[in-house]
Amino acid sequence: MDVADDGRPSEAITLWRGWLIVAGVLLLGLGGLTFLNDVSFDQYPGVVLWLGGAIILHDGIGAMAVFGVTVIARRTGRVIPFVVLAIIQAALAIAVIVTVVVAPEIVKSWIGTANPTILPLDYLSNLVVFYAVVAVLTAVAVVVALIVVVASRRAKAVSGA
Amino acid sequence: MVLGRLLGAAFLICFSTGIYSHLLQDPAPWMQFPTRPLWLYQVTQGLHITSGIACFPLIFGKLYSVFPELFQSPPVRSIAHFVERGTIALFVASSLVQLTIGLLNTYQFYAIFPFSFRHVHFALSFIVIGSLAIHIAVKLPVITRYWRKRDAVDADGRVLELEPNPDARFDTRDELRRRTGLPQNAGITGRVFEWIDRAPAPDPPDPRARVSRRGFFAAIAVAGGALVALTAGQSFRVLDPINVFAPRKNDVGPQGLPVNRTAKAAGVTETATASDWTLTVTNGEATRVFDYAALSAMPQHDALLPIACVEGWSQYANWRGVRLRDLVDLVDAPELASVRITSLQQHSIYGVTEMQPEFVRDELTLVALRLEGEPLDLDHGYPARIIAPARPGVLQTKWLSKLEVI
Repeated sequence: MDVADDGRPSEAITLWRGWLIVAGVLLLGLGGLTFLNDVSFDQYPGVVLWLGGAIILHDGIGAMAVFGVTVIARRTGRVIPFVVLAIIQAALAIAVIVTVVVAPEIVKSWIGTANPTILPLDYLSNLVVFYAVVAVLTAVAVVVALIVVVASRRAKAVSGA
Repeated sequence: MVLGRLLGAAFLICFSTGIYSHLLQDPAPWMQFPTRPLWLYQVTQGLHITSGIACFPLIFGKLYSVFPELFQSPPVRSIAHFVERGTIALFVASSLVQLTIGLLNTYQFYAIFPFSFRHVHFALSFIVIGSLAIHIAVKLPVITRYWRKRDAVDADGRVLELEPNPDARFDTRDELRRRTGLPQNAGITGRVFEWIDRAPAPDPPDPRARVSRRGFFAAIAVAGGALVALTAGQSFRVLDPINVFAPRKNDVGPQGLPVNRTAKAAGVTETATASDWTLTVTNGEATRVFDYAALSAMPQHDALLPIACVEGWSQYANWRGVRLRDLVDLVDAPELASVRITSLQQHSIYGVTEMQPEFVRDELTLVALRLEGEPLDLDHGYPARIIAPARPGVLQTKWLSKLEVI
């Protein structure tokens, strides 16, 4: 259905693409109009700064950091079994993502809130406990993975003999 | 593909629940809203914030999986290519900003964005969904081709190529060396890339590729699951025991209920506690004035209703007070009349609000005087506040001063 005999996208797909693009452009236009209507002029620089900042942060810093970590991870793959590396990378990713979401809460708690029912929990302590839990679970996973790796290597050695 | 589907679904959930929230606060005159189930807004707004939180691991995962395309060479191949990359830049930027200001708003961390949250979040939502539609349009052949897993990979697990990929990896080094006669691993950059290339990413049929891919999805799934599980308790009571990261916690606050705007912040500490406080109910020329004792003497009704904040948190509470419709009937309000509600609160866009007839006429909509068996705490709207089903917290007006039938 999706690819015609000559290998080019079918009419249905092309039609859908057309409508999606029309809808998309209309929505973009609506967004732009809403902006001009509702957001006061003096706030524009702030918005542009945030949009630009998002690109710089994501592409300039985030992408580079991820690239760097990936490369280092690949290089150390010589010495450490690959699966262990994957587990550790996953644990780090989980810790980083949760930190990104919780860190502003910690900062804002220090700054202070309008009343004590806003941000009432001890976010820093909870985050530290979370790290500890992740570390323990990662260690367990690594041990299990190593056991499996060693067992399969032994099985291979036995069957190969 | 997996991430694209999930992220697309999450974005659409956020968009639809967000528009619903917007319309409740800013309805067109012809709109009518359901007043049941009474937890309706609690669920839609809880979903809005929880999906938004879940988007963080999903979007990081998605951007991680596509980030090699950032380094396409040449950066712009044609006008169409430029437009495509431009819309993606807009999509990424607006999505990241939308999620971030949304999250920061639930923390009430307003200081770091120098613009009005409500208006920018609303306007950006169209930009995000519009860019999503264009993105899907551009990628549609890829999406339909790889929609089902068995169409997407061959027996070895290698992803089937849709069309010759102009950015496919080819043996750059040897090609360039052949054409220019210069060794490509000279110089610092050359040596760094040589070092990187000596350990290339595992591709199928290398079995490590599967570990790598599974590890990646596991990481995203665990991160998402952990974030949702450890925060959704602010909206969904069943998860309250493990709520450790949400900006609000059930049962924390005066009378066991969290507070958003305090009396002090609203500037009503004098006016709300004044001994001559009265509630004025008008319908054109007809006026009735009630003091606290008069209201307490009227037939009281109980309602178990949630406070569901626009910031996502919600909690049920037991309210007791006079039915709103009983009060407006005393000034002969027509059946389909709306009511303009005025608070003692100054300098707030919610100081004066309008309530549509379907809510006015609902038997559970109260002018509440008591919360959990006691008179309202000052921070919860003493002497009297509105409480209605299926409505956002900002419209459950506190520190009532006047009700006008319109």
